[in-house]
Amino acid sequence: MSETPKDAGNTRVLLELDDVDMFFGGVQAVRNMSFTIMEGELAGIIGPNGAGKTTIFNVITSVYSPSSGSIWFREQDITLLRAYQVNRLGIARTFQNLRLFGRLSVLENVMTATQNRYRYSFRESLRGYLSPCYRPDPKFYYGFVESLLHLGRWSGTERQIRTLSMELLDRVGLADRANQAAGTLPYGMQRRLEIARALALDPKLLLLDEPAAGMNPEEVRALNDLITGIHREFRLTTLVIEHHMDLIMEICPHIVCMNFGAKIAEGSPEEIQNDPGVLSAYLGVEEAAG
Amino acid sequence: MGIEVQFSTLFQQIINGLSLGSVYALIAVGYSLVYSILSFSNFAHGGFLVVGGYICYGLLAGFSVNILFTVPSFWWFSGFSVDFLLPVPSVNIWLAGAGALAGAGLIAILTERFAYKPIRERTSITLYLLIASMGISIVIENIFVIIVGGRFRALPPNTFPSKLFTLIGGVTVNASDILSLVFAVFFLGGLQLFLNRTRWGLAIRAAACDLRTAGLMGVNVSQLIAIVFFVAGLLAAVGGIFLSARYTLYPQLGGTITTKAFVAAVIGGLGSLPGAVVGSLALGLAEMLTAGFISSQMRDLVVFSMLVIMLLVKPAGFFGRQISDKI
Amino acid sequence: MKKSLAGNAAFIAIGVSLGLIPLSGYEEGIIVLLCINCIAAMGVSLLTGFTGIFTLGHAAYMALGAYTAAIMTVRYGIHWFPAIVAGGFVAAAIAWLIGMPTLRLTGDYYAIASIGLGEAIRLILENWQSFTRGARGFPGIDSYTTRWVAVLFFTALGTGMFNLINSRLGRELKASRDDRIAASLMGFNTPSSRMKALLISAFYCGISGALLGGYMNFIQPSMFDMMKSTELTAVVVFGGLGSMSGTLLGSAIITSAMEYFRDISQYRMLIYGLMLVTIMVVRPEGVLGNREIWSFLPGLTPDRKGRDQE
Repeated sequence: MSETPKDAGNTRVLLELDDVDMFFGGVQAVRNMSFTIMEGELAGIIGPNGAGKTTIFNVITSVYSPSSGSIWFREQDITLLRAYQVNRLGIARTFQNLRLFGRLSVLENVMTATQNRYRYSFRESLRGYLSPCYRPDPKFYYGFVESLLHLGRWSGTERQIRTLSMELLDRVGLADRANQAAGTLPYGMQRRLEIARALALDPKLLLLDEPAAGMNPEEVRALNDLITGIHREFRLTTLVIEHHMDLIMEICPHIVCMNFGAKIAEGSPEEIQNDPGVLSAYLGVEEAAG
Repeated sequence: MGIEVQFSTLFQQIINGLSLGSVYALIAVGYSLVYSILSFSNFAHGGFLVVGGYICYGLLAGFSVNILFTVPSFWWFSGFSVDFLLPVPSVNIWLAGAGALAGAGLIAILTERFAYKPIRERTSITLYLLIASMGISIVIENIFVIIVGGRFRALPPNTFPSKLFTLIGGVTVNASDILSLVFAVFFLGGLQLFLNRTRWGLAIRAAACDLRTAGLMGVNVSQLIAIVFFVAGLLAAVGGIFLSARYTLYPQLGGTITTKAFVAAVIGGLGSLPGAVVGSLALGLAEMLTAGFISSQMRDLVVFSMLVIMLLVKPAGFFGRQISDKI
Repeated sequence: MKKSLAGNAAFIAIGVSLGLIPLSGYEEGIIVLLCINCIAAMGVSLLTGFTGIFTLGHAAYMALGAYTAAIMTVRYGIHWFPAIVAGGFVAAAIAWLIGMPTLRLTGDYYAIASIGLGEAIRLILENWQSFTRGARGFPGIDSYTTRWVAVLFFTALGTGMFNLINSRLGRELKASRDDRIAASLMGFNTPSSRMKALLISAFYCGISGALLGGYMNFIQPSMFDMMKSTELTAVVVFGGLGSMSGTLLGSAIITSAMEYFRDISQYRMLIYGLMLVTIMVVRPEGVLGNREIWSFLPGLTPDRKGRDQE
């Protein structure tokens, strides 16, 4: 077990990776990876390109299942769950190479995520159809017949989803682009839309995969504010991957540093900066790159 | 006694199956070649085969062309009809075959140039190419329905040697079966040499890995694609000639055979040339054994069941590459 | 939400006027055929245009619907209405059986599998002499598909389809079409979304086939061959993938064009083929692209400014 950061003393463990290995053919992308994220933390994973950072996210979100080891989320083993099940437990993520629903509008992109806050229950729908006076639980979705006829709870639920989604778009500053096709947004806005879409799921853990990739310094600063703001405002545990050190050093009190698939250091920004292993493996590369 | 008969049927059907499979292979390889470069199912591929078959037929037997211009009556004339026999000097099968190969290759190039290229240059969505290729296959089929009519035609007798050899155990082998097997091996071997020993072959193999990078490396992509289509059309024509010798020639032949070639290519692994050959032989054998031992009506059902089972068990086929998505 | 009400009203109004305007027998036949084709095309559109599953075998589901309704009405004397609905359900049930293993396939692989399965269903219908009367066809079906019946089914299924794509299922399908992995990481069980789309589309095709049987009074396995499947998909692509109104428009244009060229039946298929190629070369995204027809009307969409700036 790794040492827990000091400022997270009395909170619960949210996510725990226990000795995770991941092989692709003969290549080991992740090696003996273990770390723990406490509830409410803003943590970061750094490491040079190809260090296996995105693979960690893919393993957590069950895009891949790990070759060995286990992953625990809120004291539940999620190692073998399917991707959508992991998501429904409350893990949302963004993607390094943007994966928006390109032909859907910006608003619809967020709505697809918002709608999954609702659950569907056949019994609830049936009771709704059979007795007109029955007022169903608002956390349930309208049923198939209501979708076909646009009657019953359809309009109410749709309006709610739309309002919630618009609020989120407003929060990331994309409200005026709501009706544009997502694929036609400029790059930086697509990144923010991905964050909005992930937030729309109302997650307990937010995974941000290289959110600053391809942004200019000014956009990175705005992004910094957005990430820390969201973290504070929604009390949302956030895990950020970056290969640019600056962003992570600035905003994350808890940092895991990786190289060649393995963890080489963990701790506060100061500890990481003074770690000899990190200096030789990572900072050396950075300095050489300019 | 009964077992002996069974055995000779088995042997007979295996030879028939290999011969049919080799003809399928000529068609499936061309289809797979196009798939490996452009990643779309060229439904017009069977059309090239029909073009080849009809050119060969026409050069051997002379065309009786009937063009009926019936135009809707709201135009200023009501229509007319032309009926003529193209005066064709009787040529031997070698010339007719060469003409068929060149003609089908040319049609393949023209198809690519005028139907696929504009789409290719505009979008990367291969679905549009697929629909266009369906359109082309309908066009080719119906051009032949209009100009030569929909009836079944057989190549003139004695085009191919039809001598029967009797092997041990009373198994008879038709010389034309052997001939088609030999020709298929010859052409497939030629393709193999072309791909492995020539500069264009190297370029084609490179493009099969990554067309765009091959273009960036200085390969003339449109010339390369034209060559690929010419080769595909040529091989389809060889297959077309032997198919029309084995069965008969009719405009819809292409559609039926394209589906078979797809199945063969999928069984072997889409885009893989050795896969296409293996898949075709497997298909030919399965068809002939079903015809010999179960019923000839079940042939196609067996073919499609093989396809579906293969897709379920091993979608990438025997030789296919596993496709993975970068996240 | 008012827009949805207006849309439903408009659709029903179209249905009522199709049912009421006085027409000659010939024109009435075209309307019936149009309704039948549109129902099947809407089904394929949901699967191909909205879920991104490209099919080349949906004529088989029409065949299943047609044979179910024909056998039920002729052999068992059941009323045509439950027979038609049963046709839809039988098609959906077979689609479920077929979809379970095959929907894992993506892209061209599913398309090729659907060719194989479509042809296999047709061959089974052709060879199961005792039940389907084989390749020579099934004659003597009552002409239950009158103009009213066709229009009624078209209006009901059409309204349902437009409402459906404009609700949670529609967004779910479109999301898994645009990016399957992202959709599953947004909490959608994508295999089940794909299955829902397949079942609904098979249901629509089954109903359409059942209506076709009642219109032609005669069905034959060769009516539902790969050519017919191709036509269904081509209509959808022609109208624009991801546009339901485009599908209806495409279906109407192609059905009436085919009808227009009936005099020169020899050239009909040639023209059809040329049309497909030309459309793909000139406007591959289809008549309406992925937008619905009302988004072209001024004033109905809140703002297109963002789109124009790009």
